[in-house]
Amino acid sequence: MAEAVHNALESGLEYAVLPLPERHLVSFQLRFLVGTADEPAEFLGLARLLEETLDKGTQSRTGRELADAFDSIGAGRQSGTGRETMTFTCTVLPQHFDRAMELHAEFLRQPTLSDDAVAVNTQLARQELIALEDDAHGLMEKLLARQAYGSILGRHPLGEHETLGRIKRGHLESFWKERFHSGRMMAAVAGAVEPADVAHILAKYFDGLGSPRRAGRDPFSLEFSGRTAHYDKNLEQEQIAVCWPGVDAIHDDFPIQQVTLGILSGGMSGRLFTEVREKRGLVYWVGAWQETPRGAGMMFLGASTTPERCDQTYTTLLREVDRLAEDLTEDELERAITGIVASQETRGDTTRARCAELANDLFFFGRPVPVEEKLAKVQRVSIADIRRYLDEHPRDQLCVATLGPRALGTGIEKNVPPGFAKVAR
Amino acid sequence: MIRLAADSPYTLHRLENGLQVVIEVMPGVRSAAAGFLVRTGARDEVPELAGVSHFLEHMMFKGTAKRTWQEITIDFDRMGSTYNAFTSEDRTFYYGWVPSAAIERQIELLADMMRAALPPDEFATEKNVILEEIAMSKDHLEHVMFDFLQEKVFAGHPLAWPVLGYDATVSALTRDQMWQYFQKRYAPDNMVFIVAGNVDPPRVIDYVESQCGRWKPSGAVHSRRPPVVHEGVDVLALDRFKQQVLALTFPSIAATDPNIETAAAAAAILGGENSRFFWNIVQKGIAPRAGAHHLDYADCGVMILFAACQPEQAEGALQALRTEARILCEGRVLDAEVERVKNKRRTTLAIEAEAPYYRLTQLIDDMEYHGRPRTVEESLAEVDAVTADSIQDYVQRCPLTVEAHLTSVGPRKFPDTTP
Repeated sequence: MAEAVHNALESGLEYAVLPLPERHLVSFQLRFLVGTADEPAEFLGLARLLEETLDKGTQSRTGRELADAFDSIGAGRQSGTGRETMTFTCTVLPQHFDRAMELHAEFLRQPTLSDDAVAVNTQLARQELIALEDDAHGLMEKLLARQAYGSILGRHPLGEHETLGRIKRGHLESFWKERFHSGRMMAAVAGAVEPADVAHILAKYFDGLGSPRRAGRDPFSLEFSGRTAHYDKNLEQEQIAVCWPGVDAIHDDFPIQQVTLGILSGGMSGRLFTEVREKRGLVYWVGAWQETPRGAGMMFLGASTTPERCDQTYTTLLREVDRLAEDLTEDELERAITGIVASQETRGDTTRARCAELANDLFFFGRPVPVEEKLAKVQRVSIADIRRYLDEHPRDQLCVATLGPRALGTGIEKNVPPGFAKVAR
Repeated sequence: MIRLAADSPYTLHRLENGLQVVIEVMPGVRSAAAGFLVRTGARDEVPELAGVSHFLEHMMFKGTAKRTWQEITIDFDRMGSTYNAFTSEDRTFYYGWVPSAAIERQIELLADMMRAALPPDEFATEKNVILEEIAMSKDHLEHVMFDFLQEKVFAGHPLAWPVLGYDATVSALTRDQMWQYFQKRYAPDNMVFIVAGNVDPPRVIDYVESQCGRWKPSGAVHSRRPPVVHEGVDVLALDRFKQQVLALTFPSIAATDPNIETAAAAAAILGGENSRFFWNIVQKGIAPRAGAHHLDYADCGVMILFAACQPEQAEGALQALRTEARILCEGRVLDAEVERVKNKRRTTLAIEAEAPYYRLTQLIDDMEYHGRPRTVEESLAEVDAVTADSIQDYVQRCPLTVEAHLTSVGPRKFPDTTP
């Protein structure tokens, strides 16, 4: 198994390289430790607006010329803004790696952030907020995040109409100048590259980018709020989402949480799919997932169903989590573990997946973590571990949100199984 | 067994019962993917059975003579498979992606599923799941738009109804009707078995023979005919949505046409990521989203230009789509524009070549549209053949300035066609 190289440049830029010489591609991710949680409260949406505006013009090129330059090397690019980070991901043929990095450095270091580009992207963000109203799943995620995570971690990248209206070019420029430093930057590279070449290229293009002082690594506080809310909307289906605090990505119990999710929702034999969909025909979509901001973790259950099946779907979802502590079998446990291990071999065949994993290792663990080390922890998880985990992370404070034509039935709390205290409405 | 050439990654084989087997060896990977392509989909249905192909796909997971539905999903998960199935207008595909060591177990399970029992006691429960899926699709503006577009553009043709079917047709469907459809369509002479990954072809073929060799052919023949692409204006006013989605649909070439990469390049230049639409429509504030999509099947194709915007922006967005289409047809694309699109396509092909599952999806198209697998190098050669001239030829052959079909869905009745 290939070993990753981990180092930091004099500029403070931390990087990791996973050389995969047999591949025909290189993937890299540049991650800045700045996200929506860093936005001033009156300028929500600022971070994503900056991300969208950065590549719309540099000191030497218009936005269109820059996009053309990327296309001329066939770069596959993506960018994103999360709670704590802004990421710029790119996949290219190996001969274009240097050029791809040069072009990234150009817009990350010398953006013009012109008034026109800011105005257009602000307008687009406003329209995306309206478009979100036509996306039931996306809207549900937004509403639940605000409800569950509180005022800092619960922010939506698009911000709000009111706060977007306040953002001016100067705000973007200040936010960029204050936070786009080498000390807040991480680079992960995987594919057909030599680590020494990567170090040289990163130094060539990013040396002298602001302060080398490490920053942006402290977790934000989670303000979990266990309450139930209904958001009325004219939809065919009711969207249901439930969450409660779990553990963060570097917690010793994280592998246990991962396996627990696998048992609930890892494959079609998972409990939620089996009990909610296959046995009862209540839904088409049902699932469980987790989110792990630094220092916090959140477990989620979700489903969408026609309004008349909403109450039964909700109680079945919750019942299945509780039942884990009662009748989990060794076979279920083994299947969940096998699923996690096997996905390393299947998805691991793609360079992009290897790069993404390396980038997450840097962010969460501060080092590349060998796949074997992670899988060994997963493979050690036992039924007793899962019972202990469920016991230590009780679902006595649930955050519940529904979006659609009707709220959960008024008597629904009576049907909530033991372990689920009545939640506030 | 046919090895296409000494250095070819492909092995082809046909069982006596007609089942085609296609194997691509990928020595550098640790995984393998396998799947059954069934040459049946929504366009093979009769109107009163609209949705049967997709419903059947769900029922294929519900039990065989050897396994209950729970045993099927448990066995998939025991081998750590990434598995699923999908149904489209012209095909249904079942697949599993596993570590290479598990490929025979994967083949055995998929093969067993293809001889489904369609248990009557699971039929009603699964019907509820399908009705929920239809309900879910009605909450997605783009899904509503696409279904409405197909219904109007291909009116009078099997491509007009949604793959999911309608509430009424799915509700009325009986297990016996589905069984008859299944017997006719899921026969080995109407199926292709595809494997990609780190596998040993002779061993795979022996194994497939042992699992599928006794299946009986049905002599099923396709009675597909190409549709007429209708012109006109159709508006679906739905005030529960906030945005207006507009689409212009033009007749174009089929997926089997040698110039299909040229059509795709034209779509990318007009409405891809770094496209004319992006810079001249989106970044000009005319509409927040605009794109071009070439929709193609073996015997027909259409070019769809679309925009999503605020209802009050509809006039401007529609005009901008038409203007860009006219400029493309009347002018000449720049060589640099073509080269950029080709470079991106090359990277995409390199990404697809990395993982067995992605190769599997490419091989489905190859078998459907070309009757044989094609190497990444062959696909690259087709991309290389695209030029500014070929794009000009394409837009002369399939002009985007003719009377098209305009579809509009959203809160506004736009354009208002009331006399």
